[in-house]
Amino acid sequence: MIYSEVSGTISEILVTHDQIVEKETDLLIIECMKMLIPVTTKNKGKIINIYVKENDIINEGDKLIDVNYDI
Amino acid sequence: MSWEKELEEKVSREKLSENLGGKDRIKKQHDAGLYTIRERIDILTDKSSFNEVGKLAGHAIYNENNDLIDFKGSNFIFGKAKIDGRNIIVGGDDFTLRGGSADASIKEKHLKCEQMALSLQLPLIRIVEGSGGGGSVKTIETSGRANVPEVEGWNLVVESMGTIPRVALGLGSVAGLGAAHLACSHYSVMVKEKSAVFVAGPPVVEQIGQKLSKNELGGYEIQLKSGAVDDAVDTEEEAFEAAKKFLSYLPNSVYQLSDQIISKDDPKRTLEWLIEAIPKNIKSVYKIRPIIEDLVDKDSFFEIGKEYGKSIVTGFCRLNGWPIALMASDPYSYGGCWTSNTCKKVQKFVDLAETFHLPIIYLVDCPGFQVGLDAEKRGTIKEGVRAMSAIWQTTTPWMSIIIRNCFGVAGAAHKRGSSYISRFAWPSARWGSLPLEGGIEAAYRSDIENANDPKLELQKITTRLNKLRSPLRSAESFLIEEIIDPRHTRRIMCEFADLSGPLRKTGKTNRTMRP
Repeated sequence: MIYSEVSGTISEILVTHDQIVEKETDLLIIECMKMLIPVTTKNKGKIINIYVKENDIINEGDKLIDVNYDI
Repeated sequence: MSWEKELEEKVSREKLSENLGGKDRIKKQHDAGLYTIRERIDILTDKSSFNEVGKLAGHAIYNENNDLIDFKGSNFIFGKAKIDGRNIIVGGDDFTLRGGSADASIKEKHLKCEQMALSLQLPLIRIVEGSGGGGSVKTIETSGRANVPEVEGWNLVVESMGTIPRVALGLGSVAGLGAAHLACSHYSVMVKEKSAVFVAGPPVVEQIGQKLSKNELGGYEIQLKSGAVDDAVDTEEEAFEAAKKFLSYLPNSVYQLSDQIISKDDPKRTLEWLIEAIPKNIKSVYKIRPIIEDLVDKDSFFEIGKEYGKSIVTGFCRLNGWPIALMASDPYSYGGCWTSNTCKKVQKFVDLAETFHLPIIYLVDCPGFQVGLDAEKRGTIKEGVRAMSAIWQTTTPWMSIIIRNCFGVAGAAHKRGSSYISRFAWPSARWGSLPLEGGIEAAYRSDIENANDPKLELQKITTRLNKLRSPLRSAESFLIEEIIDPRHTRRIMCEFADLSGPLRKTGKTNRTMRP
């Protein structure tokens, strides 16, 4: 599970359900303090669930995306 | 006429002391994937270098003729040892005897360990498991009365925070006084999934309605983000390596200076890629750690507290072999804005560098303090002024390189008032009281609202003001001393290290640091 490290607004979602993503892929962009901050994967994985949509206001610690790294 | 018999008894008692809590307890410890305290000290320290103090102290059982029938050592073991050829003091809890609690401890051993490190002015490594010599509920029955709470010897702990390096390793479940010992250090480490740290463990917390596992209550993810513990690693061996690496940058005490080592990395090495490291789009972020790692001597960056107050990266490094304390903004966290936790991290790190006389280099990209309701609720401005005060109180040589944003009060904290620091800026630097973005609408509200085309008016004002914010215009007025080619930054940092090394002075700081 990837949680948000910052509070802000979901600016863009760059992946879809079931997508296979490589290590350090940008999954979504959060606009925070006027900056566009990408949220990336640690390793190669598969997108299981996306808990947010574009323009959602999020807080630190909110669930963003579930990635299965055991593929 | 000889004393062999007495010596034989001493050796026999020492052997009993080596049995710790007995075979079954040791097996339990191993089955949990943990080492015993004696194994830990063996792995941590140089071969055969451990000189134990008080191995004969413990709890003996005698028969009616006063002959010894059994002996268990105290569950706190300490002594002098060497790591990488350097003298240190090491002390640790034996979890196989009453879970490291006071029931099987001799409190004077804890005090002597602290006194010894402080008096001999040697770094102290505390290996903590259990309650770290604190009491358990059972103490009331064994002592026949209730204790008035007191942490005897804490004055020594407080004094040593300003005198000798203290490293604490939490290598299992750590609670109460043990957790206090872990937190009261210059650097603390947990082992992922094996260590848990809390004021009180799950059975006690359940009494207030919170049913949580050890990891849910005090696992590494909780304690690293809270800032109670600095780092977490995968194995005990890695925890020992982290302790050694941390100490390698520091002197034995504030009365000494850490050495310059021979560096094979060219201090004049140019870094071509830095000319395009900072994106032109001001909303885009970049990764600061590859920049740090390439600027400092190869493989010398040792990050401290990676998961806490993440808008600032802090760590030790070497430049031309000199030990340096390095801070750098990380735009991936709140764009580099100082959050409440960032401010607390800065306070501790700056105090640490000042205490042990390490020059400080700060790579600045700070758009200001975090703003918004969350920031206000967390007392950001209060922690901010405390961080600023810590910076203003430093006397150690200081260098700031403004690599991008430097705005507002938090931005001003890249230097300590009007005292001299070495200061440079990259061409990508931008500064001011407030960033133009978002501020123009407020400052030019009436001009924009009264214009025939407000959007066009905003654009015109923005273009006009953008022309004024080139760092070169600030340099014209000598508001910034030098704009440098980013590719030459390593050379400039190494020159600072060479100049600063001889300026360092030994001794205690006026206000010794708190944990």
